[in-house]
Amino acid sequence: MVQDTAHSAPPVHAVPRRTPFADLGSWTAFAAFVIVAWEIGSRVYNQPYLLPAPSQIITALREDAPLVLYYAGITTQETVLGFVAGSALALLGAMLFVWLPRALENFLYRAVVTLNSTPFVALASLVVVWFGLGITSKVVIAGLYTFFAVLYHAHKEFISVDPMREYLMDVYNASWLQRMLLLKLPSALPIIFTSLKGGVMAAVNGAIVGELFGAFEGLGYMILDSRYVGNTVRVFLAAVFCTMIGWVLLGIVTVAERLLLPWHVSMARERP
Amino acid sequence: MPPPIVHMEQASKTYEVGRPRGLLGGGIQQALDVVVNFSLDVQPGEFVSVIGPSGCGKTTVLFLLAGIRTPSAGRLEVCARPPRDAVRDGLCSVIFQQPVLLDWLSVEENVLLPLRLRDPRWWLWPGRRGQYLERAGQLLRTVDLDAFSHYYPEKLSGGMQQRVAIARALTLDPQVLLLDEPFGALDEITRDRMNLELLRLYEQRALTILFVTHSIEEAVFLSDRVVVMGRGASPRTGSSIVREVIVDLPRPRTAALKEDAAFFQRVREGRAALREAQQLQ
Repeated sequence: MVQDTAHSAPPVHAVPRRTPFADLGSWTAFAAFVIVAWEIGSRVYNQPYLLPAPSQIITALREDAPLVLYYAGITTQETVLGFVAGSALALLGAMLFVWLPRALENFLYRAVVTLNSTPFVALASLVVVWFGLGITSKVVIAGLYTFFAVLYHAHKEFISVDPMREYLMDVYNASWLQRMLLLKLPSALPIIFTSLKGGVMAAVNGAIVGELFGAFEGLGYMILDSRYVGNTVRVFLAAVFCTMIGWVLLGIVTVAERLLLPWHVSMARERP
Repeated sequence: MPPPIVHMEQASKTYEVGRPRGLLGGGIQQALDVVVNFSLDVQPGEFVSVIGPSGCGKTTVLFLLAGIRTPSAGRLEVCARPPRDAVRDGLCSVIFQQPVLLDWLSVEENVLLPLRLRDPRWWLWPGRRGQYLERAGQLLRTVDLDAFSHYYPEKLSGGMQQRVAIARALTLDPQVLLLDEPFGALDEITRDRMNLELLRLYEQRALTILFVTHSIEEAVFLSDRVVVMGRGASPRTGSSIVREVIVDLPRPRTAALKEDAAFFQRVREGRAALREAQQLQ
């Protein structure tokens, strides 16, 4: 009989494991490159009102660090709460959609699409009217941004599972919940994570938009306030903090993705 | 004679096939008879192969017996109950053309999937799986994959993945095994080895096997009986059994049988039957 390689233990040798933080170095290098290029560019251009240099922005940060950090904290809080609530509701909503009878699913889907085609700016100003100038209205707006970013993808993935795998679940008499948790959710997870990455950026956007429409604190408020008095440096400072919030949250989602999807083809070390 | 363990009586299956609609409409629904008046009895412990040209409805017959599709007409029983119940009670198990493993579960977890889905407290799986690991080890040993229990399926070759699927199909200790061209995608060397492994399992576990294939040699080598499917008078009418070849070769069978004159004789008969089946079209 032909020698079967499977009879013996597979030839394994230790390979250094890639940590989920493997990209941290290249991201730092990228940030350093951007800052240096920006510094040189703005010094050559020499129009501090239009394009302040990073060194000026750092000086501005030193001047009132406590306030800026406090504002950044507020915006981060709004973003995170909105993102968590929005994506959780989107996942639950997508599950509800596939659980409901087809006619109801279609009805609700149309309701969601209608809400989504309402201009977000109109929606945001209404939310501020409804929920007031405090943090709640910004959480709601950030949540709405995330919800729509995630819902469509999750729903589409839940109804696009390989039919043979669905048959397999039929054969083993899986309940609705088993099918959802053991088949549909894991097979949708790669695309859900992609949409969560878009969702986290949308949440930052939503929080800032909410603050622009009426707030007394937060980075969006700082942008509006600084622009009125012509302080471009502070506008840039706020924008830089928004970017950093986006980066860090994106990093957290990416690490979670790496930890949860080690089996997925996109995580392979080598690509075709 | 004992009652048959697989019983199909005048079973038919008609699919509604939609023609794609153009931009301005005009699509039509058509009824396509895939299987018509298909009758087949399989005795306990028997190994029966179904062969026929591509698209003749072999897979549909198997899907009917697995309870995945419901027949349009006729009576089906597996282990004296409706096919769906037989499968759900773990008396009958299916192996598909593709391994159909879940990429996100290790080999071991894939094999334990049927038990996990039956566990009354399946949502506490990390705490429950311990009691099943012994069973997973046994099953993986029967297909010689115990060294790979913690691998993700994607890391295994096609033949190894199909062996995992076989182990999973045996998890609930079924009496009947339905196989749908399980080795069709494998190279010849692997396929020969898988055939021998299947025979070993069949003989050790006293299984009843219904095996769909399009290879006459494979069917003759494995089976006690080969049934040939073919279409009736017009291409529109569905298939049913048109010929049958009895393979009364001794068991246990080994690779040496493939050099035997008696084996070639049965393959010749099978080929003639298949040719006749096609001429009927």
